[in-house]
Amino acid sequence: MILLIILLLPLVTGLGILFLRNACTVRIVALTSTIVNLLLTFVVMGSSPAATFSVEWNNLMGISFSLGFDGISLLMLLLTNLLFPFIILAGFKREQNQISVLNFLILLTQAALIGVFLSQNAFLFYIFWELTLIPIYFILLLWGGENSRAVTLKFFIYTLAGSLFLLIGIIYIVQLTPGVHSTDFSVLNQLHIPAATQIWLFWVLFIAFAIKMPIFPFHTWQPNTYTMASTQGVMILGGVMTKMGIYGALRFLFPMVPQGVLYWQNIVLVMCLIGVVYASVIAFRQTNLKRLIAFSSMAHISLMAAALFIYNYYAAQGLLFQVLTHGLTVVALFYMVQLIQDKTKTLELPQMGGLKHAAPKMAILLLMILLVSVALPFTAGFIGEFLIIIGLAKQSIWVALFGGTTMILGAIYMLYAYQRIMLGDKNASLKNTTDLVRLDYWMLIPLIAILFILGIYPQPILNLVEVSANTMQNLLTSATGIVTAMPH
Amino acid sequence: MSALIFIAIFGIIVLYLGFANNKAILAPIAIAGLLITMALSIKDWGVGSKYFHDMVVIDNFSIAFNVSMLIITTLIFLFGVNYYKRMEHHVAEQYALMIFALTGAFLMTSYSNLIMLFLGIEILSIPLYILAGGKKTSYRSNEASFKYFLLGSFSTAFFLFGIALVYGASSTFYLPEIKTYISQFNGHLPPMLMVGLLFILIGVSFKVAVAPFHFWSPDVYEGSPTLVTAFMATVVKTAGFAAFYRLLGMGLLPLPAPLEKTLWVMIGLSLLVGNLAALKQSNFKRLLAYSAIVHTGFMLLAMLSQHDSAGSVLLYYTFVYSLATIPLFIIFIHMKRSAKGLEDLVIFRGLYKQKPWVAVFMTILLMSLAGLPPTSGFMAKYQVFTISISQGYIAISIFAIVMAIIGVYYYFYVLREAFTDTDTPNPILITKLNAVLIVVCGVAVVLLGLFTFTIPI
Repeated sequence: MILLIILLLPLVTGLGILFLRNACTVRIVALTSTIVNLLLTFVVMGSSPAATFSVEWNNLMGISFSLGFDGISLLMLLLTNLLFPFIILAGFKREQNQISVLNFLILLTQAALIGVFLSQNAFLFYIFWELTLIPIYFILLLWGGENSRAVTLKFFIYTLAGSLFLLIGIIYIVQLTPGVHSTDFSVLNQLHIPAATQIWLFWVLFIAFAIKMPIFPFHTWQPNTYTMASTQGVMILGGVMTKMGIYGALRFLFPMVPQGVLYWQNIVLVMCLIGVVYASVIAFRQTNLKRLIAFSSMAHISLMAAALFIYNYYAAQGLLFQVLTHGLTVVALFYMVQLIQDKTKTLELPQMGGLKHAAPKMAILLLMILLVSVALPFTAGFIGEFLIIIGLAKQSIWVALFGGTTMILGAIYMLYAYQRIMLGDKNASLKNTTDLVRLDYWMLIPLIAILFILGIYPQPILNLVEVSANTMQNLLTSATGIVTAMPH
Repeated sequence: MSALIFIAIFGIIVLYLGFANNKAILAPIAIAGLLITMALSIKDWGVGSKYFHDMVVIDNFSIAFNVSMLIITTLIFLFGVNYYKRMEHHVAEQYALMIFALTGAFLMTSYSNLIMLFLGIEILSIPLYILAGGKKTSYRSNEASFKYFLLGSFSTAFFLFGIALVYGASSTFYLPEIKTYISQFNGHLPPMLMVGLLFILIGVSFKVAVAPFHFWSPDVYEGSPTLVTAFMATVVKTAGFAAFYRLLGMGLLPLPAPLEKTLWVMIGLSLLVGNLAALKQSNFKRLLAYSAIVHTGFMLLAMLSQHDSAGSVLLYYTFVYSLATIPLFIIFIHMKRSAKGLEDLVIFRGLYKQKPWVAVFMTILLMSLAGLPPTSGFMAKYQVFTISISQGYIAISIFAIVMAIIGVYYYFYVLREAFTDTDTPNPILITKLNAVLIVVCGVAVVLLGLFTFTIPI
């Protein structure tokens, strides 16, 4: 029942918000709702996994409305509910039109995301998966920057295209279930799909997740969308929605087509590694700060995707840990981008410089966030990426070598960007610039604190996902024997 | 049967009501008549009777489709209350002609004899030829009427010729007997029978606008008065598909391989041509015409997969498609009036600014047409794909999915216009009744998606 409350709370609050007139009240109500949801999430983390909720929905099509969780969904739930208070907070005290509608859409996205992560039924999963797109489409369209019309449509079509393939995949798999067809994950996971089918079915399912993450050749929607999006929009996109791809892959690919995964593993790995190097190099050449971070995010996600498809013990742990870290880092980074834009009135790196003199405290906090992002030891970024690199090295030293370039190149372009933004001579145009205000501290300090605490003491998160990570890995290991026997 | 007789007589009554010179009473009486017909239809549920030497079969299938069409026509008549307010003369004829067309539609859902199908198609079509030319002073409307009439007659000739050839070969008009006759050849049909069947298929395909027999539909949709376009896009489409399903799904399928291949090619063409042409449309009515061709492709896909529940899926698909289409036409007519008669997509600009709730409902309706969850349009497509994949048609399903993606583009293109501001805002006035219609249809589209119905037919 508590799962249902977590799912419905943002939705109900969101609908209620539509009737509020005062901008300040709207924001506070929305923030309270997300904080309550976060507290409820902690309650769920303390309860047993048996706390599920399930009702029949459509018997004829074998659809049930069932919510439940394992370690991985719990991690995703935690990520979503941890980030949304910050995402709402990022809108405080800003000039925005139609604040109640905006906050409604944000809360609707949250509800849909929670639905995705809690669904125990493939059909329900798909409904929520698509439902996330609708509010984010409007957030990007109506509150996006210049050129939002064309970019948003591309983003929408692109991601939807992937989802529709996923739909075909789901329908096909459901048809394979014995007796009265069922769409429950528990039933689908028991299927033993013939290896030859798995090999093509893998791509039908994979494309949806590859576009969402995004993995290398499917990434072209991402930089423009990130650049154009409003701060809150890009926080949702980069912080949580990219993780949907990883979650979906874990939910579908590994349990249902493990042999397909192994068969294509090397090709996908190469795609991921190309993504790592490609995105890092491009990020290095960017002059627009938001685009730079967009590409840096893609590089990190590509590394996570590589870990996803290697999926040995270390890679899995690192991946799931990095899911949380990356979400928090991205939200903090994009908030900083917003601040920098507010203060310098530009996002072009060559026009910046010397901000440190005007805003010294901001310079310190930005440095801390960047250090997490480039995976400095004792930060959460280090734990995740280090585990991932160990995992990659277990597979092949070359994979680890290419994967490791994210850390090296990341350090280069991030610190170079820092230098161009903060350091340098006093800038005359920044004369009237003020340092951080209290709201910014409320936003940044908790994020940075979490990232550093997790860097020193990561065990709670690692424990949370350990069991599920092992289960997934066993699926792959058991499939290995069959695949090696197969002719290539 | 009583429903069929009642509606035929009722049409004449409505026609003579025109002498009363009171426009206000027309729509309420017409709607009352439709509701009585609906009650009479439902009374026969589960009975399954045959009339006129078995030429007419009233079974659950036909009743379900008839009730669906009656509901949709009721919505269109409610739309008409406001639409015909400006029209001075001959309003009664408009309602009467639509009721006559509905009579033809009833025959098309309940025939088992090719002659009866022919009669149904003709009774449906002739009032439509007149309705399409409803705006006598409009060049476009006259063009639509004439084009529809010419091409309609042409296809009727094909259809009749087909019937004649099939009769010549099999010496029967009855579908079950024709099927038995066909099956004795084991797939190697004599040329006369083959050509006859092909011509029959062409004739019916023309009526439901399957590519490559779709060329009339964009012009006719564009030229006809908007209310008639709405009628054609919903009721006529439903009737055409019911007839198609009776002819193939409940009748002649499985057909010999060459004919089935032809039908598959027609599905592919409808999906492709409809989508590619829709991408380039700037006129909203033409856009909906092409998108209707695409939906035809999806419905044919359901039908040809020869699944037991195809009839039910078809009913659901046509019904929710109609439910989403009518309010879109209502919104369109209001935007058109505020834009002083323009029909381009840009007229939707500024809708969100002025009437945000209409824009929200428009989102729901377009999502339903595009097939996005949680609307009923998604459930309809989901069911179509489920039955086609379960019968093993995976390649064509993937092709259809790709086409559905293209569809999303132009539906959301329209939606994007609605959410874009305009420099020259015109006041948008939406009457109360039409507002209620938009809301009711929008809510129904979502509720039917959440609680999908399956009627055993």
